[in-house]
Amino acid sequence: MYQSLGIIIPGTNYNDIVCALFDCIREHPNDVWIYITITRPFNSFARLISDINNIPNVTFIDCISRASGIVKKDEKCVYIESPTMLENIMMETMNLFGRAPPDSGKYLILDSLSALMIYNDSPLVTEFFYQLLNRARCEDIHTISLVVEEGEEDKSITRLIYLNDKILKVRDTFI
Amino acid sequence: MAGDRCVTGIKELDIQMEGGIPVGSTVLIVGSSGSGKTTLCMQFLVNGARMGEKGVFFTITEPLFKLTSNMEKFDFFDRGLIDSGMITIIDLRIIFERMGLDAGKYTVEDANALLDVIKDIAKELDAKRVVIDSITALCYRLHTKEMIRDFLFKLGTFLAAMECTTFLTSEIPPGEYKFSQYGIEEFISDGIIFLGDIERGGDLIRTLQIIKMRGVNHSRAKYAMNISSRGVELAPLLKVR
Repeated sequence: MYQSLGIIIPGTNYNDIVCALFDCIREHPNDVWIYITITRPFNSFARLISDINNIPNVTFIDCISRASGIVKKDEKCVYIESPTMLENIMMETMNLFGRAPPDSGKYLILDSLSALMIYNDSPLVTEFFYQLLNRARCEDIHTISLVVEEGEEDKSITRLIYLNDKILKVRDTFI
Repeated sequence: MAGDRCVTGIKELDIQMEGGIPVGSTVLIVGSSGSGKTTLCMQFLVNGARMGEKGVFFTITEPLFKLTSNMEKFDFFDRGLIDSGMITIIDLRIIFERMGLDAGKYTVEDANALLDVIKDIAKELDAKRVVIDSITALCYRLHTKEMIRDFLFKLGTFLAAMECTTFLTSEIPPGEYKFSQYGIEEFISDGIIFLGDIERGGDLIRTLQIIKMRGVNHSRAKYAMNISSRGVELAPLLKVR
């Protein structure tokens, strides 16, 4: 199995991919999943995935609600003050995985590199992504990073996504 | 304690110092208001108490009830450690009053008497960890630089002989890169830990950097610091270009 997977998805298929990922999370109840969201607030996931509170093996790290002035609390979610606080994202991720049972599979979803680029300079995101992948490799955490394609191809994101062991490119006609 | 090191219990900080602070060191915790000095110090005491080392927290800047109620929101804090006597919190202003010390400037005799009180308390309680929050407020009451130097030197020497590791908080104005208000504290201290911040996209990222730690081949890298309900946590700071 590949340690790190990059998925490039067209914006129009974003919801389908997210639902497919949650199907996968449901099918592996003994694995521990962390879902880092920079794309949309946790609350909107709760609407998209209606049984989210019945999926105990996933925890969210929401990086944009606080920055958007949304003040909510949920046991399934850790809130980061701002998507610019990349080190805090790293600390919360590693802290959550630190609580995982030792024999469980550990999976991290980063949604998405494209959204991180909106709030941070490209070199900073590159460094963060390198660190994240390396920490994940050391801790035997599998990573799935999403890139949402919108219009022109962003070369810096393309460079980043190729740091993964395997890339999947979803075409509009695929789903 | 691990060998000759005083383990802070903050994992990444101990790693940066090859296992901890040399036992008996006096370490200046420098930062502006709200930088996390008090939290870091209390976490140091609580972690020590959990390892069986008694601690004393001398506060000058905050009343006891405020200090403890602020700390209660942290997961690491355990009031039981205070009730059991593993941690003692003392309001130095009450000691000043009981000693009849004028709130203004102290004489040499006043300073020596205060030093004796601090020493006696630490000895009586068999403390292995001491915090004075803040040394800036205490030094403010001393007349001259010589008095400050003498006071800090005597305090550090006595506590080191007791194998007691001491944190002194030092307040600086926001945005300034200096280690103390009076320019003396850093020379008397064995270690300096600087709490600062950097701006990124309009947000302030807390940072921690070990500037000096005598007897340790310590990291000089700047770390990102997060203060959550778990207390102080550190991660390598992403380099800003």
